[in-house]
Amino acid sequence: MLIQNEIPKEDLDYILEPFKEEDNKEKNNKQIISEKIIAIIRDAKGNIIDKREQKMRSLTQYFLALMSIPIIGTYSNASSTTATGVLSNVLGLPSQVSSAGNALINFDTSIQLGSGIQSFTPTLNSLSAPITNGTGTGQLIYYTSSVSYTNNSISILIIVSNSSGNTINVSEIGLIGTIYIGYWSGAYYTNNYSYLFSYDTFSTPISIPNGGVATFQIIITFSG
Amino acid sequence: MMIGSKVDYDISNLYIPKDSKEDIDYQKSFNATLTIIVRDKDGKVIRRHKQKSHSPTANFIGLMLPATWYNTTGKTFTLTSTSNSTYNYAPYGPNIMYGINYPNSNSNQQTYLINIMVGSGSNSNPYSAINLASPISNGSGTGQLLYMTPNIPTGITINDNQAYFITSQSFINQSGGTVNITEVGIVINLGIHDSANYQDFTASVLTWYDVLSSPISVGSGQSIVIYYTFSVNA
Repeated sequence: MLIQNEIPKEDLDYILEPFKEEDNKEKNNKQIISEKIIAIIRDAKGNIIDKREQKMRSLTQYFLALMSIPIIGTYSNASSTTATGVLSNVLGLPSQVSSAGNALINFDTSIQLGSGIQSFTPTLNSLSAPITNGTGTGQLIYYTSSVSYTNNSISILIIVSNSSGNTINVSEIGLIGTIYIGYWSGAYYTNNYSYLFSYDTFSTPISIPNGGVATFQIIITFSG
Repeated sequence: MMIGSKVDYDISNLYIPKDSKEDIDYQKSFNATLTIIVRDKDGKVIRRHKQKSHSPTANFIGLMLPATWYNTTGKTFTLTSTSNSTYNYAPYGPNIMYGINYPNSNSNQQTYLINIMVGSGSNSNPYSAINLASPISNGSGTGQLLYMTPNIPTGITINDNQAYFITSQSFINQSGGTVNITEVGIVINLGIHDSANYQDFTASVLTWYDVLSSPISVGSGQSIVIYYTFSVNA
């Protein structure tokens, strides 16, 4: 009998063992989730001056923790009133909300750009040098993020413009996630928790000239 | 500042540059693996099976849609239970937040993993699957397996540039005959509420589904453990 959270070593070794080449290569290479980043940069006259498309490489443990909700739920078990360890230990969410009404969880995403570069680790929680919103030196104006959904694909898009007076170089991009926990306790309350869901760098920085506009898209496609 | 028709064109046409370079060193950043260990009545391993797991269902994808999509489009996503009841999910209303039930001292409508379900059939389209094609029920009668309590992870394990969690469940065959498994799925009890403590939807929902690349036979007295491993890596 398997004791809670105890996996026999012989099982764990086999679980973590890499697939062998002969293990049905075609099926093993089919992606569950494919991620793509698209960037289109226009100058002040609206002419396209650069365009990029690259695979997204680096989902963090925080995105994995988010995905755990449709897989293992939010409660530890059927009779529990505490959150799963993934939610409380990895995301730092409360183990339990004390309120008169039910507590609820949902999330949102947005894109952040940066001018730095750093090595990826699954625990990365911020860009190296985030480009902030504004018209000052080194800043970009971030317009409202939008999300589209078609078939199995979710696309998160942000438009930015450069009114800083100088060219801005974008070398890193992150998918920022915000998890909301709302509850009713005489009044309605919402607590926000922010995470870095993905992190990627561009092989060469993307230059946005003064007066230029750029769209950045992150597309997540589920195999289904 | 030029935020006009040309940018609108970029957005509306989901413009993908034809001459952009593909990275040649790309590796999949998300993986799921389905592992099954079969043991005899003495606990000795007699078969091991491992395959890539491929198939989040439509329910899973709907639950992974960010709130902005619901807010800006005003649309809902239709979730379907294993018994084919439906709910038009939208985690935001005009004034209040909707969402999945979160642990609460006063709540008794939990969202939790019910079972890693096993079955003896096959759905041709995992995306649209709402239940296993032929679920094997819990018990010791003919064609049944005893379902033990599922194990859920207490956290995420980090190993260099990989992060993963494993969820598992054991099954014992006391049916007196051999039981063949051809399909596996993850079924959660999903509770969705509004903020006024009104219960909108609580149901069993299939969120993940796989057909085995080769059937697993569980003889009388034998047991199996099914492990789902979900990982991200750079």
